[in-house]
Amino acid sequence: MASFEPRDPATLEEQRRYLRDGLVDVACDACAARVGVRKNSEQHTSIQWTLQSVALCKVFAARDQTPGRRDVHRSCPNMMASVDAAVRDGDVSVGAVDGY
Amino acid sequence: MSDTRMLDHGSTPLRYARGWHCLGLAADFSDGKPHAIHGFGTKLVVWADSSGELNVLDGFCRHMGGDLTQGEVKGDEVACPFHDWQWGGDGRCKQIPYARRVPMRARTKRYETAVVNGQLMIWNDPEGSAADRDILPPELPGVLTDEYTPWSWHVKEINGSHCRELIDNVADMAHFYYVHFAFPTSFRNIFEGHTATQFMESKGRPDKSEGGYSGEDSTLRSEATYYGPAYMINWLEVDYKGFVTEVILINCHIPTGPDSFTLQYAISVKKPEGIDDKTVDYIADAYTKSFGDGFLQDVAIWENKVAVQNPLLCEEDGPVYQLRRWYEQFYVDVADVRPEMTDRFEFEVDTTRANEYWHAEVAENLAKRAAEDPAAPAEV
Repeated sequence: MASFEPRDPATLEEQRRYLRDGLVDVACDACAARVGVRKNSEQHTSIQWTLQSVALCKVFAARDQTPGRRDVHRSCPNMMASVDAAVRDGDVSVGAVDGY
Repeated sequence: MSDTRMLDHGSTPLRYARGWHCLGLAADFSDGKPHAIHGFGTKLVVWADSSGELNVLDGFCRHMGGDLTQGEVKGDEVACPFHDWQWGGDGRCKQIPYARRVPMRARTKRYETAVVNGQLMIWNDPEGSAADRDILPPELPGVLTDEYTPWSWHVKEINGSHCRELIDNVADMAHFYYVHFAFPTSFRNIFEGHTATQFMESKGRPDKSEGGYSGEDSTLRSEATYYGPAYMINWLEVDYKGFVTEVILINCHIPTGPDSFTLQYAISVKKPEGIDDKTVDYIADAYTKSFGDGFLQDVAIWENKVAVQNPLLCEEDGPVYQLRRWYEQFYVDVADVRPEMTDRFEFEVDTTRANEYWHAEVAENLAKRAAEDPAAPAEV
C-alpha cells in the first residue's frame, strides 16, 4: 500500500544518495561484524549495521536483549575503535559532497 | 531545465500506523462511563467493565450508527443511546433487549488493550494482526510509587499536519537552538527494530527564557526513545544551578485524520530527597509548564509549515532520511517491511561548527540588549 509516496522521481534518487552513498565497508577488529561507515567530518559518524552484523557483535550479544531495554543507544566500543582506526589508516575518507 | 529546487510535498499514507498507541491515563477511563477518543479516522469508545478491565471499540454502533460514547455502561457492556444495543469488550453485541435474538454478524471493531505505567495502550493494525505484546513500551521502575510525582497529563489537538512532523524532531539537532532555545552540544541517533532513539546533551541559551530547554543556568541530558510509531519515553536529567532533577516525559500521539493528530504529553518527576511535598509539587509544575511550552514552540512551526518529501540537508543536520525509512515500517504491510527499515543505524551529529556560530550569535544578542538598555540585567 502506498506510503509517503514522493511525486517527483528525483526524490527517489535523493533518498538513495542520502541513505546509501559514501558508505565504506569496515570490519570489526574484535569480531566478524562488518558495517557501512560514512564520515562527513571529524566529529560526524554514520554507521549502518545489518541484522547479520548485529548478531555477530559480541558486545551487543552480551547486553540485555529484552525489547525496550534502555541502553540501545550505546555503541559497540570495539566497532567504534575499528572505525577510528579505519579513518586513521585512510580507508574511510573524511568529508561530505554537497551535504551528502 | 531550471536549477530551482522544488519542494516535493508527496502524498501521505492512506492508512494509520501499525503499533501501540496510548489513549491516556487508565484511571481517567475507570469511572463507569463511556469515554470518547478520536483516533484512526473515527471515534473510539473506552469504558471499564465490572471487573475494572478497560475495553476499546469503534465508537459507532453497527446497528444504525449511534454514538456509543454518548450511551451508558450497563453491566460489562456499553449500551447505544439510540436503541440500547449492548456491546461487549470482545466486540460482540451481547444483547438487544427488544429483540428475540442478536444477529450472528453483530461484531464490531475492537482494539486490544494493555495498561503500562498507568496508561492505556491500544494496538492498531490495518491488517488486523494480533497485538504484539513483546514490543510494548517498558515499565518504568518507581513511577506511580511515592518516589515520583503522579503523571501530569496534557492533551493538544494538532490540525493541518501529519504526525510524521512530530517524529522528524527525533533527528533534528538544529531546531533545539532555533525553536527550543538551547545549544545541543552532543547529539546522537540510533534506530533499530521498532525503536528510534535520540540522545542529546544541551545547555540553555542565556538570551532566552521561554520553554523547557532555555536559560543560562540550565543544562540537560536527554535520552528519548520511540517504542513503535507513536509513544516516546524521554528520560531527562535537568541540572538547574547545580540542582539535578530526574524527569520522565512521555510524548505520545493518536492520529485522528490524514493530516491531524492528538498530541499527548505527561510528566513525572523523581522526588528529590529531603524536600517537602509542596516544594516537589512546585518543581514538578514548573517542569510540566516549561516542557509543555516546549511542545507549543513545535506546534507553532508545524501549523505553518508544508510537508516535504525531499528535505534538503546540510552536513550539520541529523539523519532525517534514515529516520523516515525507520518510520515507514509502520505504514507498510508486515510482509513489505524491508530489512533496511529495521536494521540498526547509528548517527553522531557534528555539533562543533553550529555551536561556534550559535555562541557568537548569542553573545551578540546579549551585547545588543545591554547597549539598548544598560540598566537591564544581562539575562531576562
